[in-house]
Amino acid sequence: MFRGSLAAVLLATCGVGCIGEIGDKGTDGGGAGSSTPEFAASPATLHRLTQPQLTNAWLDLLGEPLDLTTTLPVDDVAYGFSSIAAAQKTISPLEAEQYETATYAVLASVWSDIARRDALVGCTFSAVAEPCVATFLEDFTMRAWRRPLVAGELESLVELGSSVGSNLADPVEGLKFALAAVLQSPHFLFRVELGEPAPEHPGVLRYTSYEMASRLSFLLLEAPPDEALRDAAAAGELTDIDSIRSHAERLMAEPGARTSMTRFFRDFMNIRNLDQLDKNPDLFPQLTATLGPAMRSEMEKMFESVVFDGPGDFRSLFTTDKTFVNEELAGLYGIEGITGEELVPVTLPASAKRAGILTAAGFLALNAHQTQTSPTHRGRFVRINLLCQDVPPPPPGVSTTLPAVDPDAPPKTLRQRLDAHVAAAECKSCHLAMDPIGFAFEHYDALGQYREIDENGLTLDASTDIDGVAVDGGLQMGQLIADLPEVGACVARRFYEHAGAHLATSGEQPSVEGLIEDFVASDYDFQSLVVALVTNDGYRYALPAVSDDPAFSDEEAGQ
Amino acid sequence: MSARKRIFSSAGLQGANSGRRLFMRGLAGGIATMVGLPLFDFMLDDKGEAFADGEAVPNRFGIWFFGNGVHLPTWTPATVGPSWTVPDDFALAALLPHKEYVSVVSGLSVKTPRHAHHSGMVTVNSGGPHYKVDDVRDTIVSTFKYPSIDQVAAAHLMTVDPTPYKSLEVAVTRFRGTDEGTTFQYLSHNGSVAGESNVNPSEESPHAFFDRLFNQGTAEPLVRSARAHVLDAVKDQVSTLKPRLGAKDQQRLEQHLTSISELEARLKAPLADCSKPGDPGEFPDVESNEQIVEKNAVMSDLMVLALACGLTRSFSIMYSTCGSGAVFWMVGATDGQHYMNHTEPAPHDKQRDAVKFNMSQLAVFLDKMKNTAEGANNLLHNSSVYVSTEHTEGWTHSQDDLPMLICGKGGGRLRGNVHHRDDGGNSSKALLTALRGAGLPLSEFGHEEGLVGEGLSDLEA
Repeated sequence: MFRGSLAAVLLATCGVGCIGEIGDKGTDGGGAGSSTPEFAASPATLHRLTQPQLTNAWLDLLGEPLDLTTTLPVDDVAYGFSSIAAAQKTISPLEAEQYETATYAVLASVWSDIARRDALVGCTFSAVAEPCVATFLEDFTMRAWRRPLVAGELESLVELGSSVGSNLADPVEGLKFALAAVLQSPHFLFRVELGEPAPEHPGVLRYTSYEMASRLSFLLLEAPPDEALRDAAAAGELTDIDSIRSHAERLMAEPGARTSMTRFFRDFMNIRNLDQLDKNPDLFPQLTATLGPAMRSEMEKMFESVVFDGPGDFRSLFTTDKTFVNEELAGLYGIEGITGEELVPVTLPASAKRAGILTAAGFLALNAHQTQTSPTHRGRFVRINLLCQDVPPPPPGVSTTLPAVDPDAPPKTLRQRLDAHVAAAECKSCHLAMDPIGFAFEHYDALGQYREIDENGLTLDASTDIDGVAVDGGLQMGQLIADLPEVGACVARRFYEHAGAHLATSGEQPSVEGLIEDFVASDYDFQSLVVALVTNDGYRYALPAVSDDPAFSDEEAGQ
Repeated sequence: MSARKRIFSSAGLQGANSGRRLFMRGLAGGIATMVGLPLFDFMLDDKGEAFADGEAVPNRFGIWFFGNGVHLPTWTPATVGPSWTVPDDFALAALLPHKEYVSVVSGLSVKTPRHAHHSGMVTVNSGGPHYKVDDVRDTIVSTFKYPSIDQVAAAHLMTVDPTPYKSLEVAVTRFRGTDEGTTFQYLSHNGSVAGESNVNPSEESPHAFFDRLFNQGTAEPLVRSARAHVLDAVKDQVSTLKPRLGAKDQQRLEQHLTSISELEARLKAPLADCSKPGDPGEFPDVESNEQIVEKNAVMSDLMVLALACGLTRSFSIMYSTCGSGAVFWMVGATDGQHYMNHTEPAPHDKQRDAVKFNMSQLAVFLDKMKNTAEGANNLLHNSSVYVSTEHTEGWTHSQDDLPMLICGKGGGRLRGNVHHRDDGGNSSKALLTALRGAGLPLSEFGHEEGLVGEGLSDLEA
């Protein structure tokens, strides 16, 4: 339907210095004209467990039910992803306190129930140093820390438990405090991945089999490794690509994979903010506390349905007429016959004038202001988040205030007022890259409701011309975006960055490009992207974090 | 033996239900501990400004931040010098009832390398440049290179007279998800050596903040000692792991160690005995409107209680974030404040009204401090509270003629009620003065281009 070369056309629209080349990471210097650098892995880093990962790890170790009511550290977002923020944050005094409080709360859930506690430990005992307790403690700690213990670690924990148990004159309590030390340990609260020398790549580290078990499991399921992964780790199998692939395929069939991948999509589309949607209550009285979260759920279910139950082709997310609505959302879409709070699958009728995530209310409402739409924000989101292109901020010193509405002049649509962007030379180049994309969505108001006329009663024009390509309305824009190769490349890049929890460096460009090729070869099948990612060199190798890494000492000594 | 120590040893007074407590250092088993003590008037000298044994009443230091600058034509008092005043339609009119405790600083500039919002936020709160973590997409990502001044004061005040919490942090309006680094999300920072995000997160939930301060779990010394024992073991694990990591991760674990040590010290001291207020609960939006007045009142109450009881001496209140998108609906604003600044045509009446409203909310906090008696004076008298915003006016992103206030009398160190103007002066001068107001013996303050060797001496008594 549309020309395949549109991406190039889109780029040509903007002036010098406006939009970076695809894949250009600015400071990394891997821009147009430079040849692809050699693969250079990124340094290993500590990954702090996010809230769902932490909760799943506790449940895995202690079983259900647990007291999960205490306040946990907030999952911040960096570069769009909570995974990246989790690789940057320290543990503040407040958060250390929150971890401590939460640890004793979950332990109390078990310790307050004698039968449950004894079943967990596997024996009754009168001293922490008894063999059966030490065996339990070792097994528990190995699972919590996701690796075998090194010399002295178990002994320290036994000693701690014995000492506290004797102070409290209660060995059973002593064991509880030993477990509290396991669960507040950096080896539990962080994924500690240090790597080991890779025989196949001198000077480079590969993640160990145990570390790969954690990387796979927390990425795919937001949970610690299951028994099969633990066994594979113990057998040293997870440095082998075929083994990694088969485990990844197995995990992708687990229910947890849906939750985990949906959370990637939530970050990718920035739709977590729908849970606290701000709109002007006078103009949008239909916005309730539940409508924003329903909009988020709709988009997430569309993703889950396409990826796990449907065609698998990520591009179909931009064109699908299959969606999910509850009564409130159905009301917004003008679909009759839906009742209740639960979202149910529907096929959108033509009269809804919607298809795909770009005409879902969540995208439209989030990328709009409290009172009116924002073609600029909607266009900007498409450029930055879906095409991975850079749009610089307004030049310093430029007033970004649109000219005031002249009360005596005939009213103008927002689109007409936005013409000021392209009238000013310093605004033109970037706004021409954003606003025309957004104009296609002008039939959807700031809450995402379809409309023919705007708030002033003026007829809306959603036809837009993107350098010779005529697009009229959101449906055609969705089709256009679906056909752009940049979208698939951008999703692959962002998934790579989410998985590795850092922005891809120029040295990782070959890995990213390889991943994109795999994604294209799979016809943009998202599950295939996940499997391609975990077998990608960029995900399996790392650079030594410290120059005198002891892991290399033997190697150096041998040279 | 001083009056304070006699009180401490008198078991009959240990349970005295006073909302006013201070903490003193004791020595138990060779470990510095903190002990909650009621501050009774007879322990003070005739002026109520020092303990009878001559020790000054310890100061409090805090920062109160509001985002997006002001509306300059209705901000700055017309005359400089003592006894400032403003017309009723100015934002600072809300502070006139407290003006004996409030000095206005105008004219100062950010001298560090500038970037819209980022440099203003970081420099007015830390005295140093922002740490650019990355150029990304359409903006930059940054954090604080140096600690915010609440942490500078906290480090000093903990050496003078330790409190259970080194500092406390709250937010009033909520963060709306700007992805530009911690500069846009948090106020209190510990400084970043290698780009790590090293913040003291502000608590946004009144219930959670209440729960943290006033439901501290068991007072059973053996159990608290066991918990401290556990943390000691965790510290060993952190210390063993740290050298195996890269520079950034080493910094992250260094902060982890610091955080654990703070918690451990608290567990080794007896449980703070503060009079417990009712649980304030939460304040969800009502018809999409954030309940700012209600939340500000209760967060101010809790912070004042924590300060009066001696739970901490250093605090930060992030009333709104740098570049805040809070909707000040009560003045008729229909858009987030940042967007409104960029879209509202001159003369920017809604921004004017929003700033005036924000100062009325600061007045609520100052009023609560002033109404908390402490000896012959009050909590505000014994505090130095630094108030700032990252821009002069949001729509120009200007960082000259910065709006700043220094509130409180610093226990007599600050004069109050002065308007000081210093056109083009380094913004760190105000930070230095505010810190000196809390008793920090500083003759210079700031970092790199933000370093200054003199404060605003006419604000000091």
